[in-house]
Amino acid sequence: MSRKLVPYFLLIPTLLIIGLFIYYPAVLTLKNSLYRVSPFGNRVFFVGAKNFEALLHSPSYQQEAWTTLIFVAVSITLGLIISLLFSLVLNEKVPGVGIFRTIVFSPYAVSPAIAGMLWSFLLNPVVGYVSYAFLKMFGVQSHWLTTYPSALIAIIIATIWQNLGFNIIFFLSGLQGIPDSYYEAAKIDGAGSVRRFFSITLPLLSPITFYLAIMDIIFTMFSSFGIIDIMTQGGPGNSTTTFIYRLYRDGFIYFNSGMASAESMILILIMGVVTFIYFKFVQRVVHYR
Amino acid sequence: MKKSTKKKLRVVIIEVLLVVIALIVLLPILLALSMSLKSPGEVFSFPPTLLPHKLYFQNYIEVFKKVNMGRFLLNSLIIASIITVGKTIFGIFAGFAFANFKFKGSNLLFAILFMTLFMPAELLLVVPLFNLMRIFHWVNTYWALTVPFLASATSTFLMRQHFMTIPKDLEDAARIDGATSMKFLFHILIPISKSMIGAVAAINFVYAWNLYLWPLVVTNSNDMKTVQIGLKMLMSNQSNNNWGIIMAGTLIALAPTLLLFFFVQKLFVKGLASSGLKE
Amino acid sequence: MWRKLVVLSLAVVFLMSFAIAAPITIHFWHAMNGPLGEMVQKLVTEFNKTHPNIIVKADYAGSYSETLSKTIAAVKGGNPPDIVQIYDIGTQMMKDSGVIVPIQKFIDEDKTFDVNTLVPQVRGYYTIGGKLYSMPFNSSNPVIYYNKTLFKKAGLDPNNPPTTWEEFEKVARKLTIKKDGKTIQYGFTSGLIGWFFEQYMAVQNALMFNNGNGRIKRATKAVFDSPAGLRIFNFWNNMIQEGIMINGGPGWDNANAIFASQKAAMLLDSTSDVGMMLQQAKEGHFELGVMALPHPADVPYGGVIIGGASLWMINTHNPAKEQAAWTFLKWLEQTPQQVQWSEGTGYFPINKNAITKMMYQGFYAKYPQYLTTVFQLLMSNVTYATRGGVCGVFPKVRATIEEALSKVFNHTMTPAQALKWAQDQANEAIEQYNSLYQ
Repeated sequence: MSRKLVPYFLLIPTLLIIGLFIYYPAVLTLKNSLYRVSPFGNRVFFVGAKNFEALLHSPSYQQEAWTTLIFVAVSITLGLIISLLFSLVLNEKVPGVGIFRTIVFSPYAVSPAIAGMLWSFLLNPVVGYVSYAFLKMFGVQSHWLTTYPSALIAIIIATIWQNLGFNIIFFLSGLQGIPDSYYEAAKIDGAGSVRRFFSITLPLLSPITFYLAIMDIIFTMFSSFGIIDIMTQGGPGNSTTTFIYRLYRDGFIYFNSGMASAESMILILIMGVVTFIYFKFVQRVVHYR
Repeated sequence: MKKSTKKKLRVVIIEVLLVVIALIVLLPILLALSMSLKSPGEVFSFPPTLLPHKLYFQNYIEVFKKVNMGRFLLNSLIIASIITVGKTIFGIFAGFAFANFKFKGSNLLFAILFMTLFMPAELLLVVPLFNLMRIFHWVNTYWALTVPFLASATSTFLMRQHFMTIPKDLEDAARIDGATSMKFLFHILIPISKSMIGAVAAINFVYAWNLYLWPLVVTNSNDMKTVQIGLKMLMSNQSNNNWGIIMAGTLIALAPTLLLFFFVQKLFVKGLASSGLKE
Repeated sequence: MWRKLVVLSLAVVFLMSFAIAAPITIHFWHAMNGPLGEMVQKLVTEFNKTHPNIIVKADYAGSYSETLSKTIAAVKGGNPPDIVQIYDIGTQMMKDSGVIVPIQKFIDEDKTFDVNTLVPQVRGYYTIGGKLYSMPFNSSNPVIYYNKTLFKKAGLDPNNPPTTWEEFEKVARKLTIKKDGKTIQYGFTSGLIGWFFEQYMAVQNALMFNNGNGRIKRATKAVFDSPAGLRIFNFWNNMIQEGIMINGGPGWDNANAIFASQKAAMLLDSTSDVGMMLQQAKEGHFELGVMALPHPADVPYGGVIIGGASLWMINTHNPAKEQAAWTFLKWLEQTPQQVQWSEGTGYFPINKNAITKMMYQGFYAKYPQYLTTVFQLLMSNVTYATRGGVCGVFPKVRATIEEALSKVFNHTMTPAQALKWAQDQANEAIEQYNSLYQ
């Protein structure tokens, strides 16, 4: 086989699968977004861009855009900071650290729906451990999932928790990849541990942070509907309804597939733009050796 | 303070921090464990008890009595294994193609693949994908449960990044020795990338193990259902659940992935450390 | 010649017996999990044992909305089940789906089936324009569970529960215990569930939709923004703001946990839970009471609406299959099966004779809590209001009302504003849905 053809052969399985099972359905979705469709699909009317117009003019959709933005931005920023701090501790060579690493990975193995279930138990206003602890320690009666903005905070906590393991795995590997000699050299130069963190660790971790940020955006944008559905169902009001949860509702609870398809298209577009900007501008700041 | 005492103190502080972190992270899972060992009467006692008064293992037995959990575990294991193997192998192939070859359209093809990350596939595809399964006569088979997930941008991307860090001289040397590209891949590249492959495989396994919506839609009989559906079968749609049993089920569903993590943990860190992401 | 004929006819009979004996397989998708799912499987197994010509394959298809999603995907893919369990609020969607056979067709043809055995309140729900569309199956309505032990502690008579909203509020206040400004026991709790709003409308005999709640003609407008609706919003909101009721939030689990741990003395919940409730009370060492849904004192009483789900027959264009499916549906409705189902699950029987039978056998004497649930239903008037609303976008209407209520509880809207907002949202959705069927 000529070497020129090899890469194409290697790519055949992957391209075939994504073409058939992702792109083909996606094209059907695009078509669907231009129609008004009955739940069983027996009535179909072409409406052009009306689904999109209705969405863009809807005050609730605009509010959900803000909720999504806050939810994604806070979850990712806080999530990355917390994971990095945890990773620093987990990177220390002390006895038994291996067990702790396994423990910290474990939330990643939990599915979003189960994560939601466990957290709503912890946050039950009366019998939840967290609420009970709050009552005993601060004397506050907390209604986590039924008041604003604590419901959104609760969703963010659960999301960060679920994604913690994934982030730590990558941060830890990044930390292990930094040669000790760098730190030794900095020590000799008289740099304190804080200086060393900001001048060596952080810059050298920037590529991994860059990758994690993208993966976290995808996770919080797409996979979080399981957590939201179990914990708050988008409420109170619609304060925890994000784009993906609305898409889930319109598609699988209200059976409005035309509208759900239009929302999918908007989401794909947003994600495309975000990634483009991210790669175009943020990648430049990333430190490469 | 002497240097050695200082060092010892540092270790103690770190160990304490580790315990605190572990407790915070594990809290929800510990809650599940504790509830799974409580008798139905104790689940809702107030104030909430941290530890069960008396260990009640009956819940775990009930899980297997109530639903065919054994079969569901087997199905999930089969499905997740096939997906893991397929996704990892195809990821290696595609990653190798993108990292080690210059070819026409490589940027375009990579972009096409990368774009799939931005599609809410889980929700977007259910109905159109079901139609395809019907055309292929795959409804209620392992085919439907595995084939659509055999390739992904994530595995390809991670493998590509990893392969790009491997010195070009290695391939040139192999070629001078007369090895074809495929020989180089199988005899040199894959063996030296074991840890990375292990890490990617573990990520893929977790993904496959936790699939819920698609298996629910595409299976029609009990002997094809997966652990995640089995877990749902233990719960009631309305209130009044026997939480002890549900939590026992949750832990049974979690156990395989946790065990997997325990065994590949070392591999994991090493593997990703060698990926191109670190630099 | 004769011999040939005999051989031939024997052969024909032989072949025909094969054709007859070849069992027909019926795929039945249901949404019953937990103990309910076990019960469905038990009934199906029994049916298969007693009907050698028919094999019913029961399959758990997820929650109610997941079952509907799965059915839609299967219908679009050309691979639907023969019988599917669809929740109450999916009735109009199924009616409009174009893929179902109304079971009225079989009732008209089959003289062995007496439709009058169906409990009128149940039959009323699934009958639209004089046609029974689906076979009622798991039916429930809401009741208030209360903790008799806490009633006694508060100096209340546990055997004289409130019957009006006014009394209810007073009792809830008495059952609330505050210490240092913190509530340590609430009078009342409930999940934030739109179904309860519909029930409170029905006890006031008020409509959710126009055109006879969508039963005379397709509903074109929501009408729940009425004095009756506003009264419900105020009733709930006042109790929450006063701190005598705690909002359990979306879903059933949280409110239930609060009640089970005896931190609230009364719980609004479904009758289908009565069995599990009794068990929880036993394990938590308190005495459980069940009261009928209270109603405002100055409004003529309507009744409660049944909730739950019914069994729909999908049009397979195969008469033999449809007959087999009908045989199964008919069998499920019969007294012995209904008694078994009701005693095992807490859903009440849909067959009058089953209720009578359970009474004679002493079941209701032994478990008076079950009696309340059935009693409340049978005491309900059968009106358009209590037969429940029918609307193609009911899931959305229900969710919108939940959203509106939570906005009121969080002070983002006044009850009047929220109600109007919810109705506007509902009207918009109804108009869009209806435009598909003009």
